Amino acid sequence: MRLLTYIILGIMLALPVNAHEMVPAYPEMRPAHVDGLLVTTMKMFNKRADVEFYEVGVFDENFQPVPFVTAYNVFKLEYLGHTTFDIYIRAQDRNRAMYICSRSKIRKGSATSTAISSKICSKIIK
Amino acid sequence: MFNKTIKSMTILGIVAMASGNIFALNAAEVPITGTVESRCIIQTDNAGTFGNPNAYTLTTTPAEGGDPAVVRFDVTLADAYYAEITPPTAFSSSPSLPDTVSWTGDVQVKTVSDATGMGTYETDKVEFGNTDRYDLTATGSTWFQIDATATMGGNKAFPGGSYTAVAEAVCVAK
Repeated sequence: MRLLTYIILGIMLALPVNAHEMVPAYPEMRPAHVDGLLVTTMKMFNKRADVEFYEVGVFDENFQPVPFVTAYNVFKLEYLGHTTFDIYIRAQDRNRAMYICSRSKIRKGSATSTAISSKICSKIIK
Repeated sequence: MFNKTIKSMTILGIVAMASGNIFALNAAEVPITGTVESRCIIQTDNAGTFGNPNAYTLTTTPAEGGDPAVVRFDVTLADAYYAEITPPTAFSSSPSLPDTVSWTGDVQVKTVSDATGMGTYETDKVEFGNTDRYDLTATGSTWFQIDATATMGGNKAFPGGSYTAVAEAVCVAK
């Protein structure tokens, strides 16, 4: 039975997968070069062949949006592409901002299927 | 005699320097650097497909021609993340529908990479609304199966065309 489990696990690990990845898991906001703003740098890696666009957002503990600025809220990230981007928030929102999330954007498909929207949320260190 | 010694030492020095250069060339290194950070990776193993067992039902149930979605969470830091998974509750794209659609969905742990550390994920999950939250207390991989069934109101037929419904898989740092 255990052997069978390992065989199934091995087969599943060997199958092609599509992954969405964002680091760091626990970003720290630091003072930006502009007074009154804080900044942190995030990195993303797109291993989802079915996804080309991602959206980023900053949220409070109840996942209500917190104002932020970045180069592009929705950006294109090619398959197997890496990107690094800065997130700026107001210093007054330091205690309110809790999560930085990235979400995959699904294109309208032509098949009768389900699709997976992946979302990864990093927690800002206080 | 003295000149011969000087000459020998010079040749020896040249040979030694040349050898040094050769060794230096052999020892040339190309550093490949990287950092390991704690992370959560969401992998879509199978996006899923709807079967159409009768005119008014679309389902991912294998026995009825469907294929459930499978998503895998890899975590490299124990007790640092929640997995929150929501089956679809609407079509993101479809033809014009003649009636309202009712949805049922289910999420369950399909396979784990560490049966000891992850064996209680399914029993310990918390359901709120349509979303199931799993506390990822161990490092490794967990596969979740997402089932969904859409039933057209009044047993009316689904019009011909393409249908897509989106399930959401979220990894939240604790």
